[in-house]
Amino acid sequence: MKEIIRAEDLVLSYGKGNNRRIILDHINFSLSEGQIFGIVGLSGAGKTSLLRTFNLLNTPDSGKIVFDGIEITSLDDVKLREIRKKIGVVFQNFNLFRSKTVIENIAFPLILDGTSKKEAFKKVSAIAEELGLSHRLNAYPSQLSGGEQQRVAIARALITDPKLILLDEPTSSLDPLTTKKILNLVLEINERHNVTFIVVTHEMEVVKRICDSVAFLKFGKIDFLGSTHEFFIKVENGDIEDFGEKIEEEILPELIAEFDKNHIFRVIFWGENTKKPVLWETAKKFDIKINILYGKIEKFKLGNYGSLIIEVEGKGIEEFVEELRNSVYSIEPLRIF
Amino acid sequence: MIAELYKATFETIYMIFFSGFLATIFGIPLGVGLYMSSRSKKYNKVYFILDTFVNVFRSIPFIILVLLLIPLTKKVIGTIIGTNAAVFNLTIAAIPFMARLSENSFNNLPGGIVDSAKSMGMTNWQFVTKVLLPETLAEQIANITVLLINLVAYTAIAGAVGAGGLGQLAINYGYYRFQWDAVLYSVIILILISQGIQFLGNRFSNLFRR
Repeated sequence: MKEIIRAEDLVLSYGKGNNRRIILDHINFSLSEGQIFGIVGLSGAGKTSLLRTFNLLNTPDSGKIVFDGIEITSLDDVKLREIRKKIGVVFQNFNLFRSKTVIENIAFPLILDGTSKKEAFKKVSAIAEELGLSHRLNAYPSQLSGGEQQRVAIARALITDPKLILLDEPTSSLDPLTTKKILNLVLEINERHNVTFIVVTHEMEVVKRICDSVAFLKFGKIDFLGSTHEFFIKVENGDIEDFGEKIEEEILPELIAEFDKNHIFRVIFWGENTKKPVLWETAKKFDIKINILYGKIEKFKLGNYGSLIIEVEGKGIEEFVEELRNSVYSIEPLRIF
Repeated sequence: MIAELYKATFETIYMIFFSGFLATIFGIPLGVGLYMSSRSKKYNKVYFILDTFVNVFRSIPFIILVLLLIPLTKKVIGTIIGTNAAVFNLTIAAIPFMARLSENSFNNLPGGIVDSAKSMGMTNWQFVTKVLLPETLAEQIANITVLLINLVAYTAIAGAVGAGGLGQLAINYGYYRFQWDAVLYSVIILILISQGIQFLGNRFSNLFRR
């Protein structure tokens, strides 16, 4: 797949001398077209700062950003303006122009580029229809709800057919239902227009539902880079600390208290096998008794993710585990936190 | 005296609005210059020059400024007394004031809006005409209102040095001839003018608040 954006050794700092604070510390990654990439981490980890370097709202101290084959970190103002037009941005606070109506806001990037008002408005109508904004076109931003403002911001980012859209905390100010709608919308746009998204978020829900892969930032460094389900396994295992969702920390000790710790395993299902009775089949083969202590299944962007904690009893435990390893994503002795 | 009051009122209004108009069309662009140069490393020096210029002119008391401007006024207007000479002086005094007011409003434009504009890859000219000015329109109208009311006070001062208008009437009849009713009427009319400007300014500004 074609690469759309790449970061090489990005370093960003604020302040000078003794007050210099490193915000981004040698960030490297590459992203191919059509992906939805999540940047996650706690507040202050540098997520938004990183996002803002992608269209050079923040200028990195050193390092390169290559967008669509062009190194944008060394461009002059005129060329940079042209690049910025190809990258849509949806800001956390939407940042709509208060003096412009919805239709004027969405059409604005086109008008700037010299498209006639008539033509621009026609294109807006089509996108507004897609995003369910048709009835609000003549309202001012202050008259809209948060979800509506968010959709206007997305429409405004989409109108120029950008290759890449940057989303900064797209759902942090929305209620659960609106969040779901916005996330579905992002998935739809991603599929229909093959637009690449980079999403900054601190919400696990967003990562699970829409991201193909994830970068976890910690103190300005990439602590994890990989696919969403791998990230999730690490989080559940407690390998990535401080990001919540460590598996039911409170109930787990109680659950496993009365069992032999060596007989407790965590099984991860991912993709195809989440729908097959592999556990039962394998257990039957080795005459193993399975006691399910904990389990859940969740829908990720690329498939279903299942997580089980089981206690096994019987003679051929080792063989059972080896056999099962072939048909599930992973099986490992449970680590006790 | 009624006839003179009429004439003086007209002169005062003429001076306020004419100089207010000129100060606006020169002051706001100067404010834009201040704002834009303050945000650019490249034009750092331009900002320093404009900023100093504005500070210097705003520091000089109006009555002193009028004296200092006498030679220039004579050259430009041809005379140093009368309403037109006053309009010239008032405009010079009001431009830096208006520039500072508008610069303040520009600075209050949320950073997010500026980011948003930058991300669209617009030119500086597009930014000024399509974002900066429209987004701060309501505040600029409020600024113009403040400016005009300041000019009400300034015209009265200008009246002391032969500008005509209500200020001069009050001084000539009241201060020199002890006709306190003339002073009273002048002051009442000045208050009414101020009130009227404030009322209309608020109304008009609110029209553009979104």
